[in-house]
Amino acid sequence: MCKKVAPAITESYQEVFRTKSGCIYQSDIEKSLLVEFANKIARFDIRCLQRLKSAVFSINLAEMATDTSRTTDVEIISLCACEHCYVLTLGEIINFRELLAGAFVMFELNSIIQERIYSIPVYA
Amino acid sequence: MKDLMRLRSLLGTEVEALLNNQIKMEAYNSSVYLAMASWCDRNGFDYSADHFYKQAEDEREHMLRFFKYVSDMGGTAVSPSVDGIPQEFESFREVFETALELEVKTTQAINNIADKCYKEKDHVTVEFLNWFHKEQREEEYVARRCLELFEVIGEEGTGRWEIDKAIPSVSYGNE
Repeated sequence: MCKKVAPAITESYQEVFRTKSGCIYQSDIEKSLLVEFANKIARFDIRCLQRLKSAVFSINLAEMATDTSRTTDVEIISLCACEHCYVLTLGEIINFRELLAGAFVMFELNSIIQERIYSIPVYA
Repeated sequence: MKDLMRLRSLLGTEVEALLNNQIKMEAYNSSVYLAMASWCDRNGFDYSADHFYKQAEDEREHMLRFFKYVSDMGGTAVSPSVDGIPQEFESFREVFETALELEVKTTQAINNIADKCYKEKDHVTVEFLNWFHKEQREEEYVARRCLELFEVIGEEGTGRWEIDKAIPSVSYGNE
């Protein structure tokens, strides 16, 4: 049986955003992102990570917190065409949101820096 | 660090979301026009039914233009689900009032996308939207003129029959 090996955080990966609960890294060489969260490391491309963020932010936390049935203790997040799946508790979802939101703010900031500092002066 | 998001897509996250909302809105409009065509057919307004069938086609074409654009620019075009389509209308006049309201809302929505694009300096999408600005001029003109027929002709006697007959001749040709 083939055993899947978790992706390693090699030197090509730069830290994008870190919280107490996890970290997101980016590799320019592999053009991929590593998400270190909930005791695992998973590789995503940027589109998958965007979909993951949408999925995590679309969970109704208020409903989850007030519903007393056992099925709402955890939320299963699985994305189509993506091999990773997360089973998260309410607290983990809040932490994951913080991590993902922070990473996407950094992506936006990087985008502004790329445009304002690098692109324009090069061709000016 | 490379800007992976920009390399993957020309569209910013918020503009992409607005364009996907517009896809949904155009699909909704198409379905409402189809419901209007059905209502007109049921009530004997053949020419108006044809008018709304054509409007339904136009709205679907608009939806596809947005859909293709999002997809071509590297975004994720979301195939829309539409529900809550009104199937019944109080009167012949209400059908046309609803049509004008739809077009006004559509113009406002497209203006909002353009506002966002200007804010984000996304001039590529602004240029794409220019076709729709022009199209909305025509759509609103036609919807308003159709409704005005109710005042000009009047609904008394054979009025509604005459209005129905006059609907196909309403067009915006002053380019």
